[in-house]
Amino acid sequence: MFNYNFRWNQALNSLPQMLEGALVTMEIAILSMVIGIIVAILLTVCRISGYRSLSAIATTWVEIARNTPALFQIYMVHFGLGSFGIHLSPYISLLLGIAFNNAGYLAENYRGALKAIPDTQTRSARSLGMSAPQAFVHVVMPQMLRISFLPMTNQMVWAILMTSLGAVVAMNTDLYGVTSALNALTFRTFELFAIAAVIFYVITKVITLSARLLAARMFRY
Amino acid sequence: MKSSILAAGLVAATCATPAMADKLDDIISAGVLRCAVVLDFPPMGSRDADNNPIGFDVDYCNDLAAALGVTAEVVETTFPERIPSLMSGSVDVVVGSTSDTLERAKTVGMTMPYYAFENAVVVSEKSGITDEAGMQGKTVGATAGTYEAIWLEEKVKEWGAGEFRPYQNQADVFLALSQGQLDATVSTMEVAQANVKTGNFPGISIVAKADMVPDYVALVTLREEYGLLNFMNLFINQQVRTGRYAELYTKWVGEGEPANLTIPGVYR
Repeated sequence: MFNYNFRWNQALNSLPQMLEGALVTMEIAILSMVIGIIVAILLTVCRISGYRSLSAIATTWVEIARNTPALFQIYMVHFGLGSFGIHLSPYISLLLGIAFNNAGYLAENYRGALKAIPDTQTRSARSLGMSAPQAFVHVVMPQMLRISFLPMTNQMVWAILMTSLGAVVAMNTDLYGVTSALNALTFRTFELFAIAAVIFYVITKVITLSARLLAARMFRY
Repeated sequence: MKSSILAAGLVAATCATPAMADKLDDIISAGVLRCAVVLDFPPMGSRDADNNPIGFDVDYCNDLAAALGVTAEVVETTFPERIPSLMSGSVDVVVGSTSDTLERAKTVGMTMPYYAFENAVVVSEKSGITDEAGMQGKTVGATAGTYEAIWLEEKVKEWGAGEFRPYQNQADVFLALSQGQLDATVSTMEVAQANVKTGNFPGISIVAKADMVPDYVALVTLREEYGLLNFMNLFINQQVRTGRYAELYTKWVGEGEPANLTIPGVYR
């Protein structure tokens, strides 16, 4: 049986602290997406470059990022690099861990998007005198980003939710970290985490809705 | 007529009885006592080579079960999960070195203290810290949700310099300390000594006793379970009275006197 009396006022007093945590969560998610997108484009270029070594690096990255838990990836950034004397703060460890994961998944999205773009476009661009890099940057990449736009918002939502894994690297300023520190002080577990869940829900909802609006505006013909 | 009313009353009274049963009755009739114990917190709780739970808290749970005449079931938990596991009914009591803060007592029921920890300043040898004051402005950390973590975080805020990092478990704190990611931590003396002794964490050492009120820890159950709280209070008294407390101390912590569980000048 669930034996608990809810005391919302006590938990709601902590709302300002939790909202500050939510800002840190969004900041990490956005930065990790920016890094993730840049790296994913580089990985995609490596994969289609035709150089076997570059494409092997990209494939390894994607395989590790997609087939191991994000928790493990974040833990390894902090404690794995730590054992080699590279000490990163919890913030940076979490950011890089999520960015690593984002890059892997996004690179796979881009690969799918590339398959949807007919080869003839590259060939037409080349026949107009563009170099291979020019053809990629001006013709293929814009379409690739458009096709994979909605999957990218999906990854953004994941990035937000993954920030909660920062606890394993002692992250205590993000939404989850703040909530769990408050919980240790007061033991009001269910109120605090219910509030945190609502905040997470609102953030992800706002992001998916604004992405949809943005897509509707940007991708009009 | 009268007798049928009486009979009805009797039936009602018999039926009403089970509804009065409290946790204490439930445990005895179920024949099992489920204790939440933290098992990465040697010597209070850990696992032996065969992965069986061992430690002071494990023995304490077994003793409590024996006193109740039931079998003990140790449910492994982490510090932050102690209360959710109690509230959701997956355990009956928490034997998890839980500090008896007033803030927490608003939510759960605490017995009188069953143990008291002294805390030690443990440092990374590279940091060159030699005492508690030396921690000021450095990167320090402790196990999230513990008494010493709350104390240390408060200190860092007071100093206005340095950084506090709450790791998820004691092993991660010592790993970070050993790697030099943390300069210092505050951890219970017993736990610090046990971990330094294992040799799993090279480059860390205990330099001083932390200047804080001893960390009194209590058994925890639901706040309204007075029957069980009452029983456990007497049980703790009996553990000390019969010498079992001292025996468990010698077994798990080492030679010496276990901490005094009474506070001079005040009733419980």
